[in-house]
Amino acid sequence: MLLELSEIFKWVTTGGNRTYLLKGINIEVQEGEFISLMGPSGSGKSTLLNVIGMLDHFDEGVYHFLDEPVQNLKEKHRIELYKKYIGFVFQSYHLMDDLTVYENIEMPLLYQKYSSSERKALVADMLDRFNIVGKKNLFPTQLSGGQQQLVGIARALISKPKLILADEPTGNLNSKQSEEIMQLFKKLNEEDGVTIIQATHSEANASYGSRTIHLLDGRMVKG
Amino acid sequence: MLTNYIKIAWRNLIKNKMSTTINILGLSIGISACIVILLFVNYELTFDKYHIKSDQTYRVVQHTKMPDQTLYWNTTAYPLAQALREDIPEIDIVTQIAGPMRRHFEYKNETGKSIKFEVPYVVFADAHYSNVFNIQWLAGNPDEALAVENGVVLTKSLVEKHFSKTSNNYDTILGKTLFLNSKDPLTVTGIIENAPGNTTQKYTMLIAYSFFKKHNPYPSENWSGNYQGTTFITTKNKEIKTGLASKINTWKKKYLKPEDDKRITYALQPVSEIHTETLYGSSPGGYTIPLKTLYIAGVIALFILGIAIINFINLVTAQSIARSKEVGIRKVLGSRPLDLIYQFVFENSLLIIITILISLGITMVLLQLLNDKLSVIDLQLALQWDHIGIVIAIGILTIVSAAIYPALILASFKPIQALKNQFSIKNRTGLSLRKSLILFQFIVVQLFVVAAIIVSQQMQLFSNGDVGFSKEAIIITEAPEFSKLDIYKEALYQDASITDVAFGSGPPMAVNGLQLGTNYRLSGTPVETAMESEMKIAGPNYLDFYGLELIAGRNISENKEAFDEFIVNEKVIQAYGWTPQEAIGKKITINEGEASIIGVVKNFHNNSLQHEITPCILMNWAYFKNNAFIKTTDINATTLGLIEDTWKQSFTRGIYRYHFLDEAIAREYAIERLIFNGFTTFSILAICIGCLGLMGLMSFITARRTKEIGIRKVLGATLFQNVTFFSKEFIGVVLIAFIIAAPIVYYAMNSWLESFTYSITMTPWMFIIGGLLTLVLAIITCSFQSIKASLANPIKSLQTE
Repeated sequence: MLLELSEIFKWVTTGGNRTYLLKGINIEVQEGEFISLMGPSGSGKSTLLNVIGMLDHFDEGVYHFLDEPVQNLKEKHRIELYKKYIGFVFQSYHLMDDLTVYENIEMPLLYQKYSSSERKALVADMLDRFNIVGKKNLFPTQLSGGQQQLVGIARALISKPKLILADEPTGNLNSKQSEEIMQLFKKLNEEDGVTIIQATHSEANASYGSRTIHLLDGRMVKG
Repeated sequence: MLTNYIKIAWRNLIKNKMSTTINILGLSIGISACIVILLFVNYELTFDKYHIKSDQTYRVVQHTKMPDQTLYWNTTAYPLAQALREDIPEIDIVTQIAGPMRRHFEYKNETGKSIKFEVPYVVFADAHYSNVFNIQWLAGNPDEALAVENGVVLTKSLVEKHFSKTSNNYDTILGKTLFLNSKDPLTVTGIIENAPGNTTQKYTMLIAYSFFKKHNPYPSENWSGNYQGTTFITTKNKEIKTGLASKINTWKKKYLKPEDDKRITYALQPVSEIHTETLYGSSPGGYTIPLKTLYIAGVIALFILGIAIINFINLVTAQSIARSKEVGIRKVLGSRPLDLIYQFVFENSLLIIITILISLGITMVLLQLLNDKLSVIDLQLALQWDHIGIVIAIGILTIVSAAIYPALILASFKPIQALKNQFSIKNRTGLSLRKSLILFQFIVVQLFVVAAIIVSQQMQLFSNGDVGFSKEAIIITEAPEFSKLDIYKEALYQDASITDVAFGSGPPMAVNGLQLGTNYRLSGTPVETAMESEMKIAGPNYLDFYGLELIAGRNISENKEAFDEFIVNEKVIQAYGWTPQEAIGKKITINEGEASIIGVVKNFHNNSLQHEITPCILMNWAYFKNNAFIKTTDINATTLGLIEDTWKQSFTRGIYRYHFLDEAIAREYAIERLIFNGFTTFSILAICIGCLGLMGLMSFITARRTKEIGIRKVLGATLFQNVTFFSKEFIGVVLIAFIIAAPIVYYAMNSWLESFTYSITMTPWMFIIGGLLTLVLAIITCSFQSIKASLANPIKSLQTE
């Protein structure tokens, strides 16, 4: 098992009242799954992804990632864990504007122990695989949205994660670009065995996944 | 990793050219100013500390109790040194000097041509002198050079100027003969390095004291007179030193006349304190600077560095908003907070190091300017490797305070919020911290501005205040031969532009040390009642020439060899409680002889305005009447050339020199001018840095509240309403700063003004103008940023998601 969430609660307190963002979430994810999180705005998709990605804390419940109890880990260990096993893809790409395509893809490796020649080889490999060798010296603003997201995915994949968390990865793209990105995810899932959890509004995108989890007001509901 | 940091840092600096420049500029101005001031302070504190025996050596100073006051002398009677040497064995070394004095010399060079030159600081020193004070010998035997009766030791600058340009033939100059005043032969026995700038022992030439003694037998055996003799003693044993002064004071009756023994007390002053103790005054050509002034300067230096650092912090944290996305991404990609802290500390340190390098360049230029500007006090500041400590200390201080705080702020951003450009409420404390930093900055700014206004008023008083005599368009030349004064005067009158010529010992106000001292008492009263007075030699037309006003009696009648008439100022008659009329005809005895008062002159400033008007006795005497005062309608090159030609035709002795009276008077205020220039420069710097800081903070705030501005605009707020909304809290800060700064500056400037006898009174408008000036600048700075933010299209600012 890759990860297991049981009875996860997350809330914010405003004026003495608790507003629940996540309410009793129970999910088991096996390696190699492709899961889509669906639900309207404010249903808790992003929050859940952030909790799974360990970027956000939760208030109650148990979260095991590769049999490690995440809630008991120190921040340092948590960072070690997610930087090794998890890659993130964002709706608005979140590439660094001051870095070139090449440097953006290389960045996660800088926070891990890779020699410069290893980094070179890995990035070259990735550029090759995504057919963006010719764009390696361009800056993100010089690329189309689809290309930027491609770079974002390449960056997420560079440290060979077991899990990709994608928050509305096609939200800023047109339908043709969306389809290309979803095909890519599917291929990564099927050929490379990368586990993917994506949050999406679109039924079409959700259909690429092997399983869909529906959320409403922070709860899991039957689709 | 490092290359990645450098890359990111570099691209960020390039991308934000404007703010990078502001950042570097603000900080480097602050750092340079701080370094320059600290170097100056350091330089002033090192005076005479370089002598190996510095901490064992004391100057013998003399306190003379007069009926009306105690006089503090840095000079002592000439025979004191030899007597101490013979009678008090606890003292290891006694050395004495006479001078420094200005003297003329002549020598014949290889081709037989006679060369005349003037040496400004001739010191007659005994053979022990070089044993007590560090002197670097380039040629000659240090132990014997001044033991030879007619030995003369030249400094390198003299040799290069008058003997030989090259340094490899010093030995060939040894043994050459020069003539003091073109008649007394001296033999060159040594050549030494120039005296450094940071010594009170000013000399450009040393002559054996035995020579002085031989040619001045009377003063050198006289125990009652203070001429230009200084006595130094050296004792290794500190304990002996404590009892030494009292031992000397009980011993002195062996030599001093009973009345002198009663009023004279000797004290021992460590040589390292000579420069910073104003009580005893400075020797000719030197200056003293109080320790307090130096400490204040040091504090000012740290203040300036402080506001520059605050500015840097403000600007860097303001920019960090733009970096929040980067922080978010880096955190998501696995960077630990420590990695980010490293990165930003590294980045800021890089910026600071670049800034420090630029500052060093600016510092060198500033030092040169300062040295040139203050050549009057022979300032020799230079950036040397010895100062690396100061620079490193400033660098570390800057990095610790300016690099780490913004880095901590940045690294503390939560990744998800950072990515969304949302900041938690917690950051408000960061804002109020920065607000208090701005408050501090503006307190300093107002301190400087108001102080500069007050100092400028005092300077105004110095340069334009009424001194009681006319000082414009007057040229002073020497008049070395009494017998030829009339020839000189008649020749000068040939030129139409020269309207008046007078002779005397010096102008009404003591400039360039042109002041003679004496003691006066009513004839027939005992010596103990004598009081200190200035003695001024003045020709018959002196009063008219300078517009000095007689309030009783008559003017000096005619030129005579000996004096038999005194004109006194009001101070003298005040001492006796006479009215001007009563004073006429009273007989007065001074050290030089007796005469009756024939006139009373209205008080004029016979000392520069830092000091009080002192008793002054004017008399017409052949002695000391060695300066000519020339009034012209127009000072130009032709007139000056004419005066020079006339002088050279009239006199055969001496060397032609001239100066302008008003310039000479202005030089008396060199230290005050330095303070004034300092305050003006620093207040301009402080304002610039302060406004930069405000600008940084405003851009931070407007960046944080773009959305709010957008909403306000959509809801119908006008530009003016928006601008006032964002500016008003900082105007509040400036006002609070004013309230805090005003009493501080009042207190500080009051104590500064109190050190002058003649000072301006502080008026509220000086404070109000300073406050208003700062306020207006602050409003302009604030508006600049908030107008920019308010003009932005609200659609854009609201579309942040």
